[in-house]
Amino acid sequence: MILARLALRNLLRQRRRTALTLMVVVAGFLALSLAGGFMAQTFQGLADGAIRGGLGHLQVMPRDTMEGDEAQSLEKSLPDGEALAAQLRQDPAVAEILPRIQFMGLLSSGAKSVAFLGTAVDPMLEPKYMACTEALKGGAQATGGAGSRWLSADPTAREVILGVGLARALGASVGSSLTLMSTTREGALNAVDVDVAGLQDLGLRELNDRFLTVSLATANQLLDSGPARSRLSVLLKRPQDTAAVQARLQSLLPGTSVQPWFELASFYRQVKLLYFAIFGFMGLVLFLIVLLATANTLLMSVMERVREFGVLRAMGLQPRQLMVLLQWEGAFLGLLGSALGLIATLLLRAGLNALHLQMPAPPGTSHGYELNIHFVPAVYVLVALGLQATIQLSALFPGLKAARLRIVEALRHV
Amino acid sequence: MLELRNLTRAYELGGERAGVFDVSLQVPKGCLAVLAGPSGSGKTTLLQLAGLLDLPDEGEVRLDGQSVSNLPEKARCDLRLRRLGFVFQAFNLVPVLSALENVMLPLQLQGMADDEAQRRAGAALDRVGLADRSHHRPDQLSGGQQQRAAIARALAPDPLLVLADEPTASLDHAHGGPLMDLMAELARERGVTFLVASHDPAVISRAHRIFRLMDGQLIGEERP
Repeated sequence: MILARLALRNLLRQRRRTALTLMVVVAGFLALSLAGGFMAQTFQGLADGAIRGGLGHLQVMPRDTMEGDEAQSLEKSLPDGEALAAQLRQDPAVAEILPRIQFMGLLSSGAKSVAFLGTAVDPMLEPKYMACTEALKGGAQATGGAGSRWLSADPTAREVILGVGLARALGASVGSSLTLMSTTREGALNAVDVDVAGLQDLGLRELNDRFLTVSLATANQLLDSGPARSRLSVLLKRPQDTAAVQARLQSLLPGTSVQPWFELASFYRQVKLLYFAIFGFMGLVLFLIVLLATANTLLMSVMERVREFGVLRAMGLQPRQLMVLLQWEGAFLGLLGSALGLIATLLLRAGLNALHLQMPAPPGTSHGYELNIHFVPAVYVLVALGLQATIQLSALFPGLKAARLRIVEALRHV
Repeated sequence: MLELRNLTRAYELGGERAGVFDVSLQVPKGCLAVLAGPSGSGKTTLLQLAGLLDLPDEGEVRLDGQSVSNLPEKARCDLRLRRLGFVFQAFNLVPVLSALENVMLPLQLQGMADDEAQRRAGAALDRVGLADRSHHRPDQLSGGQQQRAAIARALAPDPLLVLADEPTASLDHAHGGPLMDLMAELARERGVTFLVASHDPAVISRAHRIFRLMDGQLIGEERP
């Protein structure tokens, strides 16, 4: 421990230089930790958006869903999807099953027709578990969106919720009457008249321009779907069990494909990769800055203490122990820097979150969000460990330099 | 106790060959021996070879009858830590440590417990008359006090041999003489062997044995 004490004294001897180096470590910790908290907020938002946007935690779908296109409606489907849903609702890990039909066709206002991508959902269950009503709030603010409401639970009602872009393209608004056209399971052309119950803003421009939602009853009339469903969205009681439940359900349902939400949320994965690339590069630069700053401090310290090292070596200190001494100095710089960095991060995080800053809409999305940097202890630990490793690495070269000093030359050093 | 056999260590200095050449000498236990000679005569080089701070090109250093100059690095470090003490011209105390901590340092490096190291360091400082300045840092001590602290540091581990390079060169006459008296007393009282490199008459006058060097060669030995 004498080497540790000596290292601490040496850092205190050069207070100004130590303080400057600590500032670099603190700045590195601050930047990386805040970036980590911001990333966590973004990933959490995207994950929530994907899960509550319709994917659920798991999706049960026909095995060949991902291969090729559908020539006609429900060509790739779970033939008795409703029965399967009822069976899965008995599973103790499952909170709810939301059956869905995905279809496409033309939506006509009489004067104009636009291609659409449709999803049919259970109008009773969907608002309980999914973010559909939040999307409605956004749609209500768009032109023609006033009075937006969710689909009626009445199975005889023929209603539609339109993406704001789709409504704009057709000149439709809440209350407009439109005609849905598609093909039935057997390939016959069919049409159903629907009233616009509301507009929805799904956050992505491309979805808003093409997407609509109807009830399963309306889809059944249009597509003659019977009990067939395109997919079942599975909501779990414990989201952290997703992987285990997926494996279990897959073995229980060998004729289907059970996929976790993150495998299907390509936007989530792309954003995650992009963020990792951006912040990974930023982290690399910051670690490099810390490496150089600390190495410089320790090297300067070695150059100023050549004679002192000569004396210590003359007294019997081994070259390896001089390296340990420098490693201790690095260790103290890292520990103190990370501790101060953590305090600074928590203060700045609290300050920034209290400002309720509105972030601009990310690329490809239509609305911004409030900055709320997450508290992520794992990030702080990782950053602290990364910085500590960087500083210990930076202490290697000065340590080697000190260890290689010839005693007689070090004692002559002025 | 200390025996140097045919030691040669040559190096280039200002384009000329310098060092020590074929030097042999013996210093018995409890002796205050002085390597005397003008600057460049090889005093410091010989002292560094005797203290295992440098390795000879030829010859060997024997300590208590054992050849030690060919030991591996780790063993030489251990020997310096436990059996040898050093006093330098520029005092060379560790500036961030107090006088007491400086004296404790070699003991702690040996692995001695803090309490025991503190007790022994305190006794060593007391012996050199610095007990009342033990908690002062080097920059708060005079030159003479610093050199006495350095002697206490060299003596604290109970070494066989203390090597001192021009210990009085940075001190005025009023401090240099008493310092050498202290070394002579310690040699007599505790049987510590001192090998001192110096051209200071105050040092030479107190020596039990004088080895005169010139141009890297031993030209004479005196026993006053």
